[in-house]
Amino acid sequence: MREYAIRRLAGAAVVVALVSIIVFILMHLLPGDALLTKLGETGRIPEDQMDELRAKMGIDDPLYVQYFRWVGDIFDGSMGESLIYDGREVSGRIMDAAPVTLELGLLAMAAAMVIGVPLGVIAAIRQDGPIDYLCQAIALTGLSVPSFLIGLLVIIYGTLHFGYRPPREYIGLTEDPIGNLKQMAIPVLILGYGLAASIMRMTRSTVLETLRQDYTRTARAKGLAARVVVWRHVLRNALIPVVTMAGNQAAFILSGALIIEILFIMPGLGQLTYTAIIQRDYTQVQGNALVVAAIVVLVNLVVDLSYGLIDPRIRYG
Amino acid sequence: MSAIASDLPRVIDTGLRPRNRRLLSLARRKPLAAGAGLVLVVVCVVALFAPVLAPFDPNEVQLGSRLLSPSSEHWLGTDEFGRDVLSRIMHGARVSLAAGLGAAGLGTAAGVVFGLLGGYIGGFVDLAIQRVMDALMALPPIILLMVLATVLSPSLQNVVFAIAIFVMPSASRVVRGAVLAEKEMVYVLAAQSIGASPKRVMVRHVLPNTMAPIIILASIAVGSAIIIEAALGFLGLSVRPPAATWGTMLNTGAQTYMEQAPWLAVAPGLAIGVTVFSINLLGDGLRDILDPRLRGSRG
Repeated sequence: MREYAIRRLAGAAVVVALVSIIVFILMHLLPGDALLTKLGETGRIPEDQMDELRAKMGIDDPLYVQYFRWVGDIFDGSMGESLIYDGREVSGRIMDAAPVTLELGLLAMAAAMVIGVPLGVIAAIRQDGPIDYLCQAIALTGLSVPSFLIGLLVIIYGTLHFGYRPPREYIGLTEDPIGNLKQMAIPVLILGYGLAASIMRMTRSTVLETLRQDYTRTARAKGLAARVVVWRHVLRNALIPVVTMAGNQAAFILSGALIIEILFIMPGLGQLTYTAIIQRDYTQVQGNALVVAAIVVLVNLVVDLSYGLIDPRIRYG
Repeated sequence: MSAIASDLPRVIDTGLRPRNRRLLSLARRKPLAAGAGLVLVVVCVVALFAPVLAPFDPNEVQLGSRLLSPSSEHWLGTDEFGRDVLSRIMHGARVSLAAGLGAAGLGTAAGVVFGLLGGYIGGFVDLAIQRVMDALMALPPIILLMVLATVLSPSLQNVVFAIAIFVMPSASRVVRGAVLAEKEMVYVLAAQSIGASPKRVMVRHVLPNTMAPIIILASIAVGSAIIIEAALGFLGLSVRPPAATWGTMLNTGAQTYMEQAPWLAVAPGLAIGVTVFSINLLGDGLRDILDPRLRGSRG
């Protein structure tokens, strides 16, 4: 187990390093350089002064030098400086934004579990009945209609008919927990729906499979009530792949959260990245992409390692 | 002699009929999937013949008829520039389908190549490919695509390329897994022992046996590619206006005028929803037929 954990940890580190290289190269494929971005359209200055400034910013060094300087910045915790906001460290802005995204993502994941698992179990027990078909239709709709579209429609029809107003100003969790949760509810449900759809489908199919196992028949045969069999014997076994799948959805949850943030004007990583891209604040985009990818890698790692705790049959080779 | 001659047409007939019959029995066994297929055929026809079928020029600005609600003349109303929404939806279908099919095709093809190479060769090549794919997968699609869309200028070609990069890693993973399983089969050993080159073994023997998961994956990828193109358009990072795409239609007028003209969001929204729903339904049907073990699940 320990050896496996170390090997996976090393693998994860390699992946994060590769992500940093990919992101770095991508950002340097862009036309123009950091100085031009910083000066903007209006701030034209003589050519020789520009060269001097470039040397000062270090952007006339070879790419690999710049890359390792960035890596150095990552390890000293600043991740470089924002190109647009003078003196603001990239990491500081990320720390301000990350809690919003993490809260949104975690709550959506919880909501998706609470909705998806019971619906999946009910659909499996009532296989091929009207309830099953209804659940499947709901799930397929959740997979087919993107969350930003549902969000947009909720905002439109909520405003027109139900007196709902998307919040103008974000209330932090620490200033006013109840106000914050109220504000989060609708974005969380919208984001959770798409996720609940895939959890429901996965639960349905694993429960169906488990229902046909010998131990399920044994449990029924020894006289246990159907409800006890389902909740104690079937669900326990069926949930293992569901948990893995849900954990592996981290990248998609974050993706969804980013768009929902932009739609509902929440100051999370999505909003920050989007603004940084529009403003061409490359160091910020670079840092955000790396942090988000690192979160995804970390979540996947934790899921992989906890797999053995949930399912004692699994041995790490 | 004459008996044989009179038999001839029947021989030709029976050559054709099983296929028709198979289609029919498919429709009977999977009526939903067949219905979804029909919807998709209609969407494709509309996309192909949009210039002929569309009642108006999708980009013609008519400031006299701004934000008209749906009527017998403008079935889906008009937008903030007086452009006919139905015509824009029909033309938008071209971009969405091109992005969906193009990106899914390109991404799956690239994934197949890498998965096949990694799975068959193994060793360091495999490890290197896998880690790069892991890295691409760790970047949430929207971030990856926002970055790519900024680096590349927003033309249809580049949007397709960007989405294909997102599709590639999962295709590569699935193919690699299938190849690892197939590699142990006796027929591979047989092919190798009669002196077939590695390339021949891979392309002629292993690849055809991994087609089922590839087809399933590609069909699902078309749906997610369409959604992602719409998301990019919604963020204003897809093909540049005035070109109509379903996502861009949601970005521009839909948000500004949502209270006076909700159809601006509903129409492209329905187009996306119905198309992707049909693709997923068809994908489910394909999966049930090609791979009964995976019934009802979504890897």
